[in-house]
Amino acid sequence: MSEVTDWNEASGELNAIVASFDEGEVSVDDLFVKLERATTIIEALEARLALTKAKVEELTPRIAKVAESE
Amino acid sequence: MSSDEPVLEVGEFYQLLTAHLESSFGRRRPHWVRGEIAKVYEKGHVYVDLVDAGSASSDTKRPVLNAHCWATPWAPLKRRLADEGISLKVGMVVSFYGYVDVYAPQGKIGFSITEIDVEGLLGDVARRRQELIARLRAEGLLERNKRTVLAPVPLRVGLVASPGTEGYQDFTGQLLNSRFSFEVVLVKTLVQGEAAPAQIVGALQALDAADVDVICVVRGGGSKGDLACFDDERVARAIAASSTPVFTGIGHTGDESVADLVAHTRAITPTKLGEEIVELVAQWYDLNVQRPAQRVLDAATDVLDEATFYLAERRRTVVFAVRDRLRAEERHLLGTRERLVIQGRHLVESATRMLASNRQLLAAYDPTRRLAQGWSIVTDAKGVIVKSLEDVSVGDEVRVLVSDGSFTSNVTQTKGTAT
Repeated sequence: MSEVTDWNEASGELNAIVASFDEGEVSVDDLFVKLERATTIIEALEARLALTKAKVEELTPRIAKVAESE
Repeated sequence: MSSDEPVLEVGEFYQLLTAHLESSFGRRRPHWVRGEIAKVYEKGHVYVDLVDAGSASSDTKRPVLNAHCWATPWAPLKRRLADEGISLKVGMVVSFYGYVDVYAPQGKIGFSITEIDVEGLLGDVARRRQELIARLRAEGLLERNKRTVLAPVPLRVGLVASPGTEGYQDFTGQLLNSRFSFEVVLVKTLVQGEAAPAQIVGALQALDAADVDVICVVRGGGSKGDLACFDDERVARAIAASSTPVFTGIGHTGDESVADLVAHTRAITPTKLGEEIVELVAQWYDLNVQRPAQRVLDAATDVLDEATFYLAERRRTVVFAVRDRLRAEERHLLGTRERLVIQGRHLVESATRMLASNRQLLAAYDPTRRLAQGWSIVTDAKGVIVKSLEDVSVGDEVRVLVSDGSFTSNVTQTKGTAT
């Protein structure tokens, strides 16, 4: 199973898994495999999002200082 | 010499002359006299030679009035003239109010000035000012500097001013107290007096060549006389000729010099001029730095919010989808199991019924029942049921099973059914 490296690629894969669930294409044997992959993707994206949020929060005061300076 | 004519001593003559003159032209009978200044000299008192306006200086017979104004009356008159930006100059046409006085020790008859027609002089100054403006307009100079293009961020400011003056402090204070780093290139000049125009022109030309973003001409409030240098034609032409936008902040509210009219932009005071320069930079900063920064912040927040919402929604969708799928499988298995149980039960019941039937059938063939009816079962030595004559031979020992036991017998003879 490939690493989650690119947000768009990973979210595309996640969307495909969800779509396969919606369409009832998943056998019970595949269900766990797909659920595990979806969980891996979601956790990886959440970790990346948390990291991005932290970086944004670090930068926000600096940008805000420019945006709000009088 | 006629004997009946009195002979006067010099002093007596002057007394008589003075008395006659004073009766018609003396302190109590002052007159207005209008003329063109041919000479003017000031040293505490001011001395003016007045001639008929337009008379040729080569005319040795033109009348000259030697007028003077003593220091005491001259001081307030001079101040008043200065307040209006006027000083007595050769060629100026002026009306003096005064009286004739005779200075016997030098044998001079003079005109002592007690008043000057300032309004008339003002009218003359105003007329000359309007003529200058008309000339500048006709030459297109009023608009020339206004057509120069102002730098988007005028941070490099050329300054024509006199350091230490209130106007200088007011203007630079606005720049220094702003949040921007202005670079001020100062060319010191006088900002009043006769030497000021030439210095201001030099400063304008120097700054125009110094690659500044804007040139600011600054001078605090003062009398019209103090500000007269900014009505000077040389200054106006230098501003018009500048390829750099020239901003003026001269005097107080209400003052409008020719320099103001010619300038690219005019502020009513040095403080206002400083504010306007700061505001220009602030507007650029707001448009090109602050707003984009805010947009970046907003966009970052939107992207993060959207991503957070997306992941939360996907997580819920996956969980629900899997749960639904598992529940569907459970329901399917449960249904299958129930069907199997029912079917099994039917099978068991069917088998039970079949067994009962078979059991009844078998009971009919039960050997003990046959034995009880008198039938017996014969087996060979190996216990195999003898069904045919071929299974035995004469001499074999067989075992005969009856309802209540068995006995052994020997085959002595065989005999077929047909026989």
